[in-house]
Amino acid sequence: MIQVSNLSFSYTRQPFISDMSFFVSSGEIFGFLGPSGAGKSTLQKVLIGMLTAYQGSAMVNGIECRHRTRRFYEDIGVDFEFSTMYEKLTAKENLQFFSSLYEKKTRPIDELLEMVGLEHDGDKRVADYSKGMKSRLNFIKALLHDPLLLCLDEPTSGLDPTNSRMMKNMILAERAKGKTILLTTHNMQDAAELCDRVAFIVNGKICALDSPHNLIMSKGAATVTYTWIDNGEHSASCPIDRLSDDEQLKRLIANNCLQSIHSSEPNLNDIFMDITGRTLL
Amino acid sequence: MRAIRSSFFQMLAYMRRDMMLFAACPAPILAGLFFRYAIPFLEAVLADYFHMPAIISPYYRLIDVLFVMITPTMFCFVSAMVSLEEADEKTAAYLFITPLGRTGYLSARLGLPAVIAFLVTVILLPVFKLTTFSSIAILLLAACGTLQGVIVALLVAALSSNRLEGMAITKLSMLTVFGAVIPFFVKDSIQYALCPLPSFWIGKAGSENTLLYMFPAFALSAIWICFLLKWYLRKM
Ligand SMILES: Nc1ncnc2c1ncn2[C@@H]1O[C@H](COP(=O)(O)OP(=O)(O)O)[C@@H](O)[C@H]1O
Ligand SMILES: [Mg+2]
Repeated sequence: MIQVSNLSFSYTRQPFISDMSFFVSSGEIFGFLGPSGAGKSTLQKVLIGMLTAYQGSAMVNGIECRHRTRRFYEDIGVDFEFSTMYEKLTAKENLQFFSSLYEKKTRPIDELLEMVGLEHDGDKRVADYSKGMKSRLNFIKALLHDPLLLCLDEPTSGLDPTNSRMMKNMILAERAKGKTILLTTHNMQDAAELCDRVAFIVNGKICALDSPHNLIMSKGAATVTYTWIDNGEHSASCPIDRLSDDEQLKRLIANNCLQSIHSSEPNLNDIFMDITGRTLL
Repeated sequence: MRAIRSSFFQMLAYMRRDMMLFAACPAPILAGLFFRYAIPFLEAVLADYFHMPAIISPYYRLIDVLFVMITPTMFCFVSAMVSLEEADEKTAAYLFITPLGRTGYLSARLGLPAVIAFLVTVILLPVFKLTTFSSIAILLLAACGTLQGVIVALLVAALSSNRLEGMAITKLSMLTVFGAVIPFFVKDSIQYALCPLPSFWIGKAGSENTLLYMFPAFALSAIWICFLLKWYLRKM
């Protein structure tokens, strides 16, 4: 679906996105994970043909992005990180207008509104919407023309847990229909839960690219941390696959001296720290 | 085509909600009525009062030249204001990544209003004109006036970042229209200080009754439009 090779782009003279290469297969949820300012949105803008002054190649759906035509957009749905609605018009008027731009048949508006719980707010002006309502509305706008490729820029940011859950379910439902999804986020739980593969992006470069599972496994096994009292509190830890070698732990268990014991599985955040040397936020 | 038509009607619907923009549309007809009927009446009253044979009538040609630019400037101003709002709300950026695209957007916001303004001018000028024109002159003047409107629209859209600034820039860019006045009043060669303005040459063509002066007007308009279009697209 997407084939990027030796892509470089910069807004200024300093190099920014440099020499990126990766591919995204059809039917995959592919995540760009990285701190803000890393270049995730910029990369996405290259892939949707908004920024055409790039070097290298970026093919989307068989079309080189800088040579995109109107056809190109019949199959791409974009949800920006900011609202892109006519504030003075109602939600329905907005969706009707954006629907009318496509040659292909679009999805029923009422159904989409209902899917994100906005069925009673369709006739309200977008200016009167809350931030969360606007994100949901912008999200369904990207689904209007049932595109093959969905580009979602921080779709869950600023949503409460219930709405965030609902949106994630909708993203998974789109994948189940065979759609390809590009997801930009700095939320590692979302990335771990949704993405088939993630690319860690820092300072315009891909530092790692694999499935969340493989990335987490690359760090090695979980560790077990335990504490006990012996002239004050002590604590020690040991990899979970080496527990039987830990004589001290065996002794503490035998004597029922443990104060606490817990295992901690590495998460994407730790891996991100390990690989890039910086945090996600 | 479908997307362009749809987004053009969207602009009309959007305008209906905005009294100021809505009011700008019949302005050419009101101005035309005023020029055609009130001014000759005023001329008669003034001439009688001051016992002079002519006061305004030597400038009837100038009034016609200004009228040529009124419709395009008004229409293009309206669409410039709408696109400013679209830039503000980021809907323009979104439209660029739909089948409408950049070229479609420019056609709907600049091209179509300009074509309509041209047609309206070609119809209204013969109705409201105070002096006589050949049909060729009417077509050339309407075309050049339309380009002037496009220049005003691009100036507004490229130089301002919101509606309030847009209003201010509109007033400023209206000054470029008044380049047409100079050849009527300044006969000295100092008038050429304004020669970079296309409207100056339109005024010159009017004041000296020489259609040849329309050529620099067209050429300069093309240069202005290319330059401003680049500027505008870089901003989007
Ligand atoms: N239009 C622009 N012109 C110049 N610099 C920009 C522009 N948009 C973004 N940037 C810069 O590019 C960098 C990356 O931005 P972005 O891709 O939005 O990061 P992310 O989405 O990963 O948070 C930032 O430093 C930002 O200031
Ligand atoms: Mg971003």
